[in-house]
Order: sequence, then structure tokens, then C-alpha cells
Amino acid sequence: MAGETVEGDRAPGLSLDRLPVDSETLLGIGSVLPVILLYLVVSIIPVGFAVYASLHEIPLLNPNWTWIGLENYGRVFEVDRFWGSLGRGVIFMVGSTVLQLVVGLWMAMTLNRIRRGQKIITAVVFTAYLIPTIVVTLMTLFMLNTQYGVLHMIGSEWLGIWEPTEFALGQNDLAMPIVVLVGTWKFSVFITIFTLAQLRSIPQRFYEAAKVCGANKWEMFRDVTLPRIQGVILVAVLLRSIFMFNKFDLIWTLTEGGPGYATTTLPVLAYREAYNAQNFGLANAMAVVMFLFLVVGGIAYFQVFNPSDEVDT
Amino acid sequence: MSTDTDHDDIRGVFGLDFRTADRLYQGLLSVSAALFFVLIMFPVYWMLQSSLKTVEGRSQITWLPFEYFSLEHWGTVLTGEVALYLFNSAIVTLGTIVLVVVVSLIAGYGLARVEFGHKENFARFLLFGYMFSPIVLGLPLYLIYSRIGLLNTRVGLIITLTAISMPFSVWLMWKYIQTIPEAMEESAWVAGASRWEGFRDVIVPQTQPAIIASALFAFALAWNDFTFADILLPDNQATTFAPGIFRLINQGYGAPWGDAMAASMLTTIPPLLFAYFLQSYLLKGFQIRSL
Repeated sequence: MAGETVEGDRAPGLSLDRLPVDSETLLGIGSVLPVILLYLVVSIIPVGFAVYASLHEIPLLNPNWTWIGLENYGRVFEVDRFWGSLGRGVIFMVGSTVLQLVVGLWMAMTLNRIRRGQKIITAVVFTAYLIPTIVVTLMTLFMLNTQYGVLHMIGSEWLGIWEPTEFALGQNDLAMPIVVLVGTWKFSVFITIFTLAQLRSIPQRFYEAAKVCGANKWEMFRDVTLPRIQGVILVAVLLRSIFMFNKFDLIWTLTEGGPGYATTTLPVLAYREAYNAQNFGLANAMAVVMFLFLVVGGIAYFQVFNPSDEVDT
Repeated sequence: MSTDTDHDDIRGVFGLDFRTADRLYQGLLSVSAALFFVLIMFPVYWMLQSSLKTVEGRSQITWLPFEYFSLEHWGTVLTGEVALYLFNSAIVTLGTIVLVVVVSLIAGYGLARVEFGHKENFARFLLFGYMFSPIVLGLPLYLIYSRIGLLNTRVGLIITLTAISMPFSVWLMWKYIQTIPEAMEESAWVAGASRWEGFRDVIVPQTQPAIIASALFAFALAWNDFTFADILLPDNQATTFAPGIFRLINQGYGAPWGDAMAASMLTTIPPLLFAYFLQSYLLKGFQIRSL
């Protein structure tokens, strides 16, 4: 590979000088080549494959594919569930991201200021993000169990939100809020980590200087803290929105999209279409449409907030 | 006279003297910290105490495990099927961490220190990788891997998870290496070091916080992964913890909840230790002016 040639011991640069491309370019491309290869195998080819598959009628795992052109795409938009799932997905995405932003910032501010037990509480908070999603799901299901679940008891006997015989996640109007709350429990910390790192990097003398100038607490926040953390918050919100829009494992393991379709977002719908309805072509068409939604949304976000400006400096 | 004007506002509003205002402020902070501590630790505690109870004890809500104390679930988990899932998870996670760190460190170096065309566009393009939902990639990967023989292999899953966590790590390394003064490398070159030696002896040690941060994120992603493992390791013998335990619990009647809680506790211990001992590295890894 290019990198090795340049890095090798034999006359560095000598033979390469005669090549039409300079050694610097070769080294640069060589350094990102593994990234490109991995990307090709795991992202580009599968997406191309998904587009190709979406143009076929494919009963799951059946080697006989029938070319049907754009028919699947017509069917995607006909499916009344699609628009419902898109709507639920947007509710899930916006609801989770907003809650995570609020809780995440609150946690970061707290962790940055407390004087006692800072290290242990930071560790505990960070753990929420590192615990596997499946464990979060198992804890939730276990604690909401109608017979011996402690959260079930608290919700029914102490707070009276649901009946003692009702499974909270089985309720049409409760399922989505609970899934959003569970997601907040786990993923707020993502925002906290980003923000806390930025908060810690603000030199104390900035605040001292502001104090000398007679700034009050709000002015200090607005003029010193906010400019330093807003770039990172924009990036974190973009990433969290994308992650939540694409979130599959949490919803699937908690509710499998139910009850009925109450928590079926687009990724869940695509999975159901592929494995339950056994229509792989249609599922891929949905996946492609989902991807296009995100690309358009992502570009719009970049246009409005331009986090890449922050990122590129 | 107050030495610290930090709390003047609270003082002004409520007409409190400085000491009281400071106590109030610290008190509110402590309450908020305690709230997060309880909210996060309660489920973990519940999981631990449930794993330490007998099957009969599990159907009782008791705040402490002593009455029905038993280690039977931990015994089952350390020897049975779940142990195999945990072992598979550990292999996949380790493999992913190593691959992610090596690949992204080299790419980050290239982006930060080597001049070549379109590298900014390349980096931006990488970020779009996050728009591919695991579902969008998982379904076609299933078909591709089944054709090239990577289905039900740990290698296939490691490659996939590496590619998924890479964009973030590459950005992290790129931005971090930019903060290391170039003069450090140049002086190594002047002293006769090759480009590779400069990378190995200057960049790698200096980038340690970013390496640890990206390793932790790769850990979180691989240790966490349900979707890809579920789709790409359909065979129960080859599968990792997340889909394995989910399939066990989904058996419905007689689902091994106690074992699941013990195993879940096992998967929670490494994150707790990492979070405690590596938090300063993790935060330093992100302390880059406008990431």
C-alpha cells in the first residue's frame, strides 16, 4: 500500500518523485484507505444492494427475485401504516431528543458544579450510557411485570396511573411515553458527556474576567458558557436526532412496535415488513425512503445551523 | 463582605446573606445530583437484588434480597448458555475496539497531517454514514454475508461494528491530532526519525485521551449492539449477549428472569468500572475546541 512505500526504509521519496502523484497524496490516501474499504463493504454496497432489492419482489430468503421496477415505492406510499409510522417516528425523535437535551444539559451543569462525590456520581451517570440497551429493556420489562414488578406497583398502587391488572407497555396511550422515557434514561448521557467536556475546558479566568467587568450570573452564562458549548450542542442534537429516528433495538425489544402499531416507527415497520410479512423488496424500499428522508433532513439542518462551520475550525 | 460574587443574584432576589445563599446553591446542586444518582442506580440495584433471590423470592417485592437470598442464578449464568453469549460478546467487542482504534488513528493522522485533495469532503461524507439506519444496512448485509460466508461469524459482525463506529472515531482523532503542536513531530524528524517513527513515538502517545475515548465509544457500540447481531448471527450458538438473552426471555412462560438479571448485572460491571476509572480520559478526549 501507498503508506508502506513511503514509510519504508528504502530510499524514501526517491522513486516516488517520478510518479505522476506526489508521495504526500499517496500517503494521505493510504491512511484513509482502510476507512474507505470498510465503508464500501458495510455502507455503500449494502445501500446499493437495498436500492437494487427494492426494485424486486422478494419473498424472504427466496432466491427467485422478480423485477417489478418502482412498484414497491408506489406500495410504500400506499401503505397507510407508512405515514402513521413516519408520524410516530417524528414524535419519538423530537420528544426523545428534546427530553434528552434538557436532562443532558441539566446533568452536565450539575456534574460540573458539585463539590463532593463528583467522580462517583459522574461514573454512575456515564454508566447509563454504557449499559447495553438490551439490559435497559430487560430491567424495564422486569420492573413493569404485572405480578412482581416494582415499577408496576409504584405506577398502579402508589400513583394510580394504570390499573393493577394492566401491563403498562400494553396500553395504547402509555406505550410511546414509556419508550421515550426509557430512551431518555439511557441516552441523555450522550449530551452530558459532550457538554461536560466542553464546560471543563472553559478556563476559569474567563469567568473571573467577566466578574471583574461586573457581569451577573446570567450574563456570564450567555457570554462565556453558551458560546463555548453551543457548537457542540448543535452537533450532539443532530446526532441524537438521527440516532433516535433510526432507533430500532430499544423499541423492538421493549414493545415489538405494539400494542397494535402504537410504537411502530419506520425502522420497526421495515423490520416487520421484512420478517413478519416476509416482503423483503418492500422492506428495502421503505429503508431507502427512510434514508432519503434523513439525507434531506440532514442537509436542511446543515443549511440552517451549519454545525460544520463549528466542526471545521 | 463576600469573597465570592458568584451567588449575588440569588442573594439579591431572596435577601439572603452570602453564607445562606451559598448553602442553598450547593444544597440544590446536591439534591439534583442525588436525584440523578437514585434514578440511575435504582434499576441497577433492583437488577442486582433480583439476581440474588430464589425463584419464589422473585415474585415478591422486597426491598432487600436477604429473605430469599440465593446464588443459583449466578451459578447458572457462569456455566450455561448465557456464558457462551457473554463470551461471544467479549470477543466481538474486543475485536471491534482494536480495529476501530487502529483504523481511525491512521486515518485521523492522515487527515490532520497530510495534505491531499478532497479530505474535508471525505470527512464530511463520513458523517453521512450515520444516516444509514442499522435496519437499512442490516437487511442487505444479511443477504451479502450469507453469500460470502460471513453470516454467523464473529468476523462479519466485527467488520460491521467497526465500520459503524468509525466515522465518529475518525473525527475524534482528526480533531485531537490537530491540537498537538506540529513542532513536536518536526523536531523528531530533524533528529532523524522517519514519518512512521514520528507517528509512533510522538502522535500515538500524545493522542492517548482520544484513543481511550474512541475505544470507550467502540466498546459502548459493540457491547450494546442488538440489531446487527440479531440479523447477522441468527444461529443461537454463534450469537452475542443481546439477541441471545432476548430470545431466551421471549420464550414466554418460564422465561429465566433470574438468570437474565444476573447476566445483565455482569454486563453492567465493566461499564461501571470504565466510567469510574476512565472518565477523565473520556472527557479529555472531547476537550477539543469546537469539535
